[in-house]
Amino acid sequence: MLADSIQELEFGSLARIRAARTPEELEAVRVEVLGRKGALTLAQKEIGKLAPAERPAFGQILNGAKQKLEAEFDLRKRKFDQTATGARLAGEWLDLTLPAPPPRRGHLHPITRIQRELEELFRSLGFAVLDGPEVEDEYHNFDALNIPAEHPARDMQDTFWLEGGNLLRTHTSPVQVRGMERLGPPLRMIAPGRVFRNESVDASHEHTFYQLEGMMIDRDVSVAHLLYFMKTLLTAIFHREVTVRLRPGYFPFVEPGFELDILCLICGGTGCAVCKQSGWVELLPCGLVNPNVLRMSGIDPEEWNGFAFGLGLTRLAMMRYGIDDIRHLQGGDLRFLEQF
Amino acid sequence: MKFSYNWIRELVEGLHCAPAPLERLITMKTAECEGIEAVGSLLAQARVALVLRAAPIAGTHLTRAEIDAGPPGRRTVVCGAPNCRAGMKAVWAPVGKKTIHGVESDGMLASGAELGINRDHEGILELDAEVDAPVGAPIPGCAPDSVIEIDNKSITHRPDLWGHWGMAREVAAIAGGRLKDPVRLSSLPSAAPGIRVEVADPALCPRYSALVLENVTWMPSPLWLEWRLSSIGLNPIGNIVDVTNYVMAEFAQPMHAFDADKLKGDTIFVRRARAAERFAALNGEEYTLDSSNLVIADAGGAIALAGVIGGAESAICESTRRVVLESATFQAASVRKTSSAVKLRTDASMRFEKAQDPANTVRGLARAVELLHAVSPGIRIVGGVADVARPTPPPPPISLPLDWLERKLGRSIPAAEVRAILESLEFGVEQAGPRTFSVTVPGWRATKDVSIKDDLVEEVGRMVGYDSIPPRAPLVAAAVPPANPERDFQHEVRRLVVDLGFTEVYNYSFLSEEAARKFGYEPSSHVRVTNPISSDQALLRRSLVPELWRNVIENSKHRDSFRLFEIGLEVHKDAYGAKPGLPEEIPHLVAAMYERAGDGRVGLDELKRVAVCLMPGAAIEPCEDPSEVEIYQHPARAGFVVWKGERVGRLFEIHPSLMENGRAAALDLDLKRVMRLGAGEVKYTPIRRYPSSAFDLSVIAGEREYAAALEANLRRFAGPLVESIEFLRVYSGKPLPEGSKSVSYRLTLGSAERTLESEEIGAIRARTIDGMRGLGYELRV
Repeated sequence: MLADSIQELEFGSLARIRAARTPEELEAVRVEVLGRKGALTLAQKEIGKLAPAERPAFGQILNGAKQKLEAEFDLRKRKFDQTATGARLAGEWLDLTLPAPPPRRGHLHPITRIQRELEELFRSLGFAVLDGPEVEDEYHNFDALNIPAEHPARDMQDTFWLEGGNLLRTHTSPVQVRGMERLGPPLRMIAPGRVFRNESVDASHEHTFYQLEGMMIDRDVSVAHLLYFMKTLLTAIFHREVTVRLRPGYFPFVEPGFELDILCLICGGTGCAVCKQSGWVELLPCGLVNPNVLRMSGIDPEEWNGFAFGLGLTRLAMMRYGIDDIRHLQGGDLRFLEQF
Repeated sequence: MKFSYNWIRELVEGLHCAPAPLERLITMKTAECEGIEAVGSLLAQARVALVLRAAPIAGTHLTRAEIDAGPPGRRTVVCGAPNCRAGMKAVWAPVGKKTIHGVESDGMLASGAELGINRDHEGILELDAEVDAPVGAPIPGCAPDSVIEIDNKSITHRPDLWGHWGMAREVAAIAGGRLKDPVRLSSLPSAAPGIRVEVADPALCPRYSALVLENVTWMPSPLWLEWRLSSIGLNPIGNIVDVTNYVMAEFAQPMHAFDADKLKGDTIFVRRARAAERFAALNGEEYTLDSSNLVIADAGGAIALAGVIGGAESAICESTRRVVLESATFQAASVRKTSSAVKLRTDASMRFEKAQDPANTVRGLARAVELLHAVSPGIRIVGGVADVARPTPPPPPISLPLDWLERKLGRSIPAAEVRAILESLEFGVEQAGPRTFSVTVPGWRATKDVSIKDDLVEEVGRMVGYDSIPPRAPLVAAAVPPANPERDFQHEVRRLVVDLGFTEVYNYSFLSEEAARKFGYEPSSHVRVTNPISSDQALLRRSLVPELWRNVIENSKHRDSFRLFEIGLEVHKDAYGAKPGLPEEIPHLVAAMYERAGDGRVGLDELKRVAVCLMPGAAIEPCEDPSEVEIYQHPARAGFVVWKGERVGRLFEIHPSLMENGRAAALDLDLKRVMRLGAGEVKYTPIRRYPSSAFDLSVIAGEREYAAALEANLRRFAGPLVESIEFLRVYSGKPLPEGSKSVSYRLTLGSAERTLESEEIGAIRARTIDGMRGLGYELRV
C-alpha cells in the first residue's frame, strides 16, 4: 500500500521536475521531495514502522525512486547551467579583427637577422663567434694578413685612414689574426661585423657594409673540408641544396685562394640577368690559410693548417630579401625596416 | 687587362679553342674573366678600294667618288672626307645604300676611327703605304677580334699575366697547344754598349738594359700594328712609341724611348732623386721628388721617373733621329710607393709593381729591334746592348711531398699527373725522394708569385680542377667553443628592445663637424678620417645620438608616432681600450620614441620601462646641476640612468629646438657598464611561507618634488619589514591646494619567519605616518 504511494510520489515528482521552467522552480521541487524535510525523506523514516519482513522490499522501492529522481534532477540542473553559461558567453562577443593597441613588437634589422642565423649555425658546428675592433691598426688589417706596405693587393681595398696611422678595418679578416693570437690552434671561429671601404655610395656600392669571416685551424685541413663547410653553410642559408664551384682567386692571406660561385638560384644555371647570363653567382672568397699568416700569428704551419672564408652579409641580405638598393640598409627608414 | 684572342692564337700553335670556351677555361683555371668583347666587326666586310674618280658635289663639302672595291664592279660612294681623291687606295665598308644630296651612296669610305683601327677622324684611311693590299681584299693584318677582359685584381700576383705571352703560356697549358717564342736574341748585335749606364742603387733597379738606334723615322705605324694596339685599348701614337707599347703588351715589359740627341752627357744614371729635385713629366705635370723616388737621369738631371713616366724634355717627337731604348726592371715596392706618392698610375707602373722578371729586359729589346726594323725603314743599331744587372741567384728548388699535396687538396693525384701539370707550366720537376718532387720555379713566376710548396698546391689544384675534389666533413674533436658574453648580451638587449616595440636601425660610424658641434662635441675630440669621402663624414662618432636624432627627424615626415633603436660603437679618441694603440670602442644602446602629439610624458615613460626591463631596479637621477645637461637635452627633462649605484646612461627628451614638430624621448646606455653590473648568477630567495599585509598611504607633496625621494623616506620610516612599496597613482587638482600633488603608495609588509600581528602592522603604519608628518608632509590615509 505504502509502496503505491511511493510510486505515485515518484511519478508526480518526475513530472514536476520536468515541468520546472527555471532553476528556481527546479530547486523548489528538489526541496519539497528530496530535501531534508521532503516527502521522500519523510517516507524513508516510515520504514521503521513496517514489519521486518516488509522492510527490504519497501527499502528497495524507496531507493529506486530516490535514485531516479536525483538523476532526473541532475540532468535538468545541468541543462539549466549549460543554457545559462551559453547565454553569458554569447554576451561576451568581441571583434577579434580589431587591431591590437600599441606597442607592437619592433623589427630587427635584416642584417641582424641573417647574422644571428649564421651565428647559430656556426655555433652548432663548434665555431666560436669572435669580435674585433672596427678601428684597426695596419698590422692586423694588412701586414699580419700577408699584405705588407707597398703590396699591390692593398689596392683591392680602398682604405679609410685615421689620424695617428690607424684605419677603419677594410674586412673582418683582422679578427682571424686576433683570434689566432688569443686562442691558438686548434681553432674554429667566425667573426661577423661592420667593415669600411673608401668608395662612393650608389645603389650597389656602400662604404660601410657587413661581412662574416670564418676560419678553421686544425691538422690536415684540406680543400675538401673547405668545400664541405661551404656547402653546409650555403644549404642552410638558402634552405635548399646548392651547387658550388671553386675557381682560382687571389688573396694574399690564403694559398691557394678561391672564388666560390653558386649555381644561379634564379635561373638554375641557364643564364639570367642576376647571374649576368653566366649561370653562376660569385658569392665568397676563400682558401687555405697562407703559412706566412699562420707563422706571423705564432702558429707552426708544418703542424697546423686551415681554411678561411669571407661572406658578404650585406650581399646575402640583399639576395635573401630581394633588396635592390644597398642604401636602404643604413637609411634608417622605418618604411623599409618594418618589413622584416 | 685586355687580351686579344688573335694575338694569343698567334703565340699558341695548334690552339683549337674558340674565344667563349677559352674564356670559361681561363676563369676556371687561371684568372677571372669579366667578359668577351667582339671588336672590329666592320673589318669583316671592309675591302681595299681604289678611288677611280672623285668629283665635288656642288654646294657641299662632299665628294662623289667612283670606286673599285672588287666584284661585282664599280660603286658610287658619297664621301665627306677632305682627303678623298682619285687614284688613292682607301677602305670601303658596306654599311647599306642611302641617298645623299640626290646621289645614291653604296656603303662608305671609312676613316681609321670608324673602323676602330686608330683614333683618326680627320679623313678616310689611306692604304697607299700598305704593300700587300690588293683591291677587293680585306685590310691586311686587320681582322675582327675577340677581346677577353681579365679582372686586374685576379692577376695581382702574376707579373707574367700582364702580357700576352704569359697568358699564351697559360692558354697552351690549359687548352692545349704549343707556345711560340717570338723573340730572337740573335737580332741584337754583340758589340760594345752604345751608351754608358750607371746604376747607383741596384736594389731598386735589378736590371737596366738600353740600346741606341739611329736613322729613326717618326711616322704612323702600319695598320696591323695600330689595330693590334687599338683592339686592346691602347692608343696608337707613332711607330717608335707604338713598338714600345707593343712589347709591353706582349711581354709585360714596359719600355721607354728617349730622344738621344736631347740627352746631356754620355751616361744614363739610375739613382735616387735628390731632395726637392724637380721633374717635368710627359703628361705636362711637374713633380717635386725626394730621395724615396728613383729616377733615370742624365748629366743635366732627371729624365724619367723610374717605372712610372718619362720626362718631357727628352721625349721623342717627329724630328727625332736617334733614340735610346730603355728596358729595365725596377723594384716593385719602390715603383708603387713613387706612383702613389705622385698619384700617377701608368701602364708601366702597374706592371712594375707586380715584380717583373729581369730576364725580360733584353728579350724585350730584341723583340723591339725586330719590330722597329719593320716600322721605321732604315733604322740602325748603334753598338751593342748596355746591360747592368745585379746578379740574382736562381731561386732554391721547392721540395714538394706528394702525400702532403694530397692531404692539402683532399684527393689523390697520380705522381705522373702532378709532374705533367707542373711541366706544362714550365716548372722543372726532379724526383727527390720516393714520394717527393724537387720543383724549380721559372723566372717569370719566381719574382713574387711562387716561392713555397703551398703555391704549388694551387698550381696542381687549379689544373686538375677544384670540381674534382669531393666535399668531405673533417674529423675533429668535439669541443664547446669559447663564449662571447659581450655579443650574447648585445643580442639579448636587442631582442628585449624589439619585444618592447622598438625597430632596429643601422647608422654610419661617421659624423660631420657640423653635427658634432650641434650636439655639443668639439670636433677635435673625435678620431678624424684623413681621407674622408666627403667632409660631412670626416669624424668617427663618439655618440650615437646625432644619427638617432636624424632618424627621428626623417621618419617624423611619414609617421605620427614610432620607436627606434640602434646598438653600435662609440669611438673615444683619448681613451684607450684593451687593444694597445687603438681608441676605445664602447658599445651603446640608443633608443628613441617620437610622438607628434602629446606632452612627451608617454615617450619618457616607455624609455624608462626599457631601462627597467633591462636593469631591474634601475632609477633615474635627474640632472639637477645645469652643467650636467647636454645641449641636445631638454633641460627640465634630463636625467642619468643609475643602476646599482652607478650612472650607466641618460634618459632625456631631445631639446625642442632640435625638433621641427612633436617630441622625442631618448635613452642612451653604456652597454659595457650595464653588462658588467648585470653579471653574476641569479640567487634564489625562498618563497615566503607567511602571509603579508598591505596598507595604502597618500603623501601630499610639492608639485616638483621627486617621487623617488618620497618613496625613499617611506621606506626609511617603515623599516626592515617592508617587502615592497608599490606606486599607485599621482593626483593633483581639487581639492588639493594649488602647487601640490598627492602620490599614493601601497606598502606591503611581511616576514620570512612568522605572520605579523595586526598590532605590529598598525605600529609600523603609525610610525611611517608620523615620520612623514615629521618631515612636514601631509598624508591622506
